[in-house]
Amino acid sequence: MTVPPTAREYDAALIESSLDDPEAFAALFDRYSGMLYRYVSRRLGPEAAEDVVGETFLAAFSKRHRYDLAQRDARPWLFGIATKLVARHHRTEAARYRALRRSPVDGSVEGPADRVAAGVTASASRPALAEALSGLARGDLDVLLLVAWGDLAYEEVARALGIPVGTVRSRLNRARRKVRAALGDTDPTREEA
Amino acid sequence: MDELDLLRDLGRGLEHEPPPSLVRQRNRLLDAGRARRRRGPGRWTLLGVVAMVTAAAILVPAALLHGRDAKPVAAKSTAPAAGKALNVLVIGSDARGSDAARSDTLMLVHVPADRKRPHVVSLPRDLLVRIPACGRAASVDGMINSAFTAGGASCTLATVRQLSGVRVDQTVVIDFGGFRTMVDALGGVEVTLPKSVSDQKSGLDLSAGRHWVDGRQALAYARVRHGLGDGSDLDRIKRQHRLLGSLARQARKQMTNDPVAFARFLAVAAGSVKTVPRLDAGALKTLVRGFEDGDSVAFDTVPVRPAPSDPSRVVLDEPAAKRMFASFRSS
Repeated sequence: MTVPPTAREYDAALIESSLDDPEAFAALFDRYSGMLYRYVSRRLGPEAAEDVVGETFLAAFSKRHRYDLAQRDARPWLFGIATKLVARHHRTEAARYRALRRSPVDGSVEGPADRVAAGVTASASRPALAEALSGLARGDLDVLLLVAWGDLAYEEVARALGIPVGTVRSRLNRARRKVRAALGDTDPTREEA
Repeated sequence: MDELDLLRDLGRGLEHEPPPSLVRQRNRLLDAGRARRRRGPGRWTLLGVVAMVTAAAILVPAALLHGRDAKPVAAKSTAPAAGKALNVLVIGSDARGSDAARSDTLMLVHVPADRKRPHVVSLPRDLLVRIPACGRAASVDGMINSAFTAGGASCTLATVRQLSGVRVDQTVVIDFGGFRTMVDALGGVEVTLPKSVSDQKSGLDLSAGRHWVDGRQALAYARVRHGLGDGSDLDRIKRQHRLLGSLARQARKQMTNDPVAFARFLAVAAGSVKTVPRLDAGALKTLVRGFEDGDSVAFDTVPVRPAPSDPSRVVLDEPAAKRMFASFRSS
């Protein structure tokens, strides 16, 4: 979902120039606000996403002096800030997944027998996925979604959350295991549990 | 398809496109940046200038009005909807040193809902009008530019509203210094002189024909009353319109050929004008994009006739003015 910017190596330079010229920071907004908005809108919906994106950039702006200029790509940094802010809306997020769990899906899917049949859409798995997401520990959920929805590499997730890469891997493994379990035999694309 | 793929698929279904109202968050950021910078109170004067700046004053409120109500759809929607028509008052004033500021240039700009063909109508500064009370005890008759001296932009706004019956959505005030900087940020602008001019008062000193001039000369060209044309304010307005057209063309060219320089120009433009409600560089950019279609701005001067009381002043030609402003009043 995120389109890698063509001039990513300039993030650090941009942040550096914003130290003297605060308004230069707006260029970072222009570059990444859309990407962050899409990501946060997946987790919190459109209304909260707008605020979270605004808060993210304000927070980033106020601590830009502490940005590690050796890191050319500012995306992990911004995703990290956004993730912390998303956590404040955990009720909104939980309600979103709950609603999804109940929402009717593709009507052509009737029973387990049909679900394993060819041509079943992935949307059949949505209630189970939503169920799984709402059952995950926050730390695991953050890692899982930064990988699956934020398109970050493991090292980038580690940077975003300020945790070791090993922890990213173990959290991701645990989260994936739980999601697989929740999909269980209702997983339309798996013949075996 | 493993569980990550299924999860990605779920995510795509949940995603929303950034709404135009996201520009508000950008404004918050710019405000935070400016608060830190602490500029002194600037002197604001008006020059009815850059059609684009004016235009910019327009699209943004439209985008803002749209964002909240129109539910973003998950599909890849692109441009913000056209929105509603907007009227913008552009004021340029004449403050020099400690002298009282006067509005040197006044323009009403109408931007239709489809953003296709903005209409600029200039109001001559020596137009005799009734100036509303504006904090004083009583309203008085006077030249329209004295409203600015009496009560600033809000008084000018009240006067224009009363005169034209037009609702104004946005007021833009431009400083002469700001205009100069804007032209320089564009790398200059082209002007064509019918004959050579050497006017000490304005500092304009150019031969006849086409010239590529910098901000200082462009400003002189916009302001000079002697040596070019018939020396009237109406003639000066025509010249300003030509300059605006030239400026808009140059800006559009730069937007295409040198986006980096153009971004700088927008930042300068946003910093050189005072807008109510506020606009920033991003908002200007959004607006400029709405006007990419060539020279589609229409320039007019409000219909006037010599004042019965003073032949050197003018008064509104009411029936004709009413017709001209009709489009401003329609949705």
